[in-house]
Amino acid sequence: MPTVPNMPKRLLEFRDRAAIAGVGYTPFTKDSGVSTLTLACRAVLAALEDAGLTPDDLDGLATHRVGDSAPPTLVGPALGLADLSWHLDQFGGGSVSHAVVGQAALAVAAGLAETVVCYRAVNARSEFRMGGTGRGVPVSPETQYQAPYGYVAPPQQFAMYARAHMLRYGTTAEQFGTLAVTQRANAAKNPRALMRAPITLDDYLASRWIAEPFRLLDCCLETDGACAVVVTTAERARSLRRHPVLVSAAAWGGGTSHLSCPDPTVTAAAALAPRLYAQAGLGPQDIDVAELYDCFTYSVIVQLEDYGFCPKGEGGPYVASGATAPDGALPVNTHGGFLSEGYVHGVNHIAEAVSQLRGDAGDRQVPGAEVALSTSQPGYILPATSALILRRA
Amino acid sequence: MAAYRPEPDRDSRAWWERVARREFAVQECESCGTLRFPPRAFCAACRTEGWRWREIAPEGAIESWIVSHRSFAPGRHDPYPVVMVRLTAVPGCLVYGNWRGERPPEAGEPVRAVFTQVDAELTLIDWMPESSTPARSGENQANC
Repeated sequence: MPTVPNMPKRLLEFRDRAAIAGVGYTPFTKDSGVSTLTLACRAVLAALEDAGLTPDDLDGLATHRVGDSAPPTLVGPALGLADLSWHLDQFGGGSVSHAVVGQAALAVAAGLAETVVCYRAVNARSEFRMGGTGRGVPVSPETQYQAPYGYVAPPQQFAMYARAHMLRYGTTAEQFGTLAVTQRANAAKNPRALMRAPITLDDYLASRWIAEPFRLLDCCLETDGACAVVVTTAERARSLRRHPVLVSAAAWGGGTSHLSCPDPTVTAAAALAPRLYAQAGLGPQDIDVAELYDCFTYSVIVQLEDYGFCPKGEGGPYVASGATAPDGALPVNTHGGFLSEGYVHGVNHIAEAVSQLRGDAGDRQVPGAEVALSTSQPGYILPATSALILRRA
Repeated sequence: MAAYRPEPDRDSRAWWERVARREFAVQECESCGTLRFPPRAFCAACRTEGWRWREIAPEGAIESWIVSHRSFAPGRHDPYPVVMVRLTAVPGCLVYGNWRGERPPEAGEPVRAVFTQVDAELTLIDWMPESSTPARSGENQANC
């Protein structure tokens, strides 16, 4: 286990104090036909139902968004909750998805609330497309130095980082493709997944260019849907319907911006990982299943390195070896991930980790999974990242 | 026309005005001398506010590049390359632009800026191989 200088000892008091007691989904579609407020309410109610709770048990709501979805101040009143004791409306995309659950876990551990639902609701295909086509340029002071050159969208930005990794370490399209093929095979076993038809490496290589070096099948889906998780105290979770999943560690990190990035092949996850593992008292060798933020194939490969599953530069060969397949050393994105299940900005990765640890993941269950790593976008573009280690109680 | 026109803010407006005069300037901290980009009030190294403009050699090295095949921006339909350039004069700083080379870029290749006048108000910075002959003023036609 890596040692972490200056880690506050009080962080260790937080280990396993909070639990995830339920998960909820709406169907994943390309056009929900309803508002993000409706999607959010449905996912929140589904998560409470899964936990065996009702809205009257709820005293906290949290979400992350980029101005594209319903905040807790809409969802609370819509569900008749006039006086939430804790709420959080976190600005940000995939880099803060796990921070929201981490903050909810801290809130219940500190007694600010007892039962919080964290949700993310998006019409990310039919209304606000994250992929960048068909909407305006994101408002950031840094946009002015890129947008005039037609450089505006995440597929372009991550392709740029992916190429840097290919140039430095010899990472190949076939290695990216192996990841896409493996995750699609996982999705074939997931009734929720939007894309379940198997693909081959040839299909991957024949898929059309989006932004070289990325092809269509390097890119995640754009999805309408919502996903939610119930966070409560470990003590309360033990009295509820589902087997509790403990939050063993939650860590926040920094990252790099478009314009300041000392090494595009190293992400903020490399600095966050030692803190995260130390908080849980575990190391990468203890992780049974990993749900890694896969906005693009490359983001998984760089995280395999930065979370310590293989040496820097060997993420591509690690994937090509079959290590991330269901029967490999580290099953990754067992639900199919954003590439094939759907894109709900991080929360569906947490929910899948919970299913795996509860042992109710059906045909895609990793036998005996006890510890899971789930991660957010590893800190490119917006200098922020976050991750969770979850453990079966 | 530019894909999107930049929207200068209170930190960056003077920088864009210098680009329009074909000058590549960055900020130099008056206290510790650290060069920085993009324009910001504070030096991240010594956390002080005093600074002056410092013209730098508009040179860098290719860190990465992409070729966009989707219409990610209005008015852009053909595949177009965008390069990520590590500025030589400002450590840790990356900038972007369209590629003006006759051939694809190469990893680590030294490049120089090409000032591309879009119209009376707007000039953009693209990149070309250092070994190429820079076009004379006025010959850089914007096609972005």
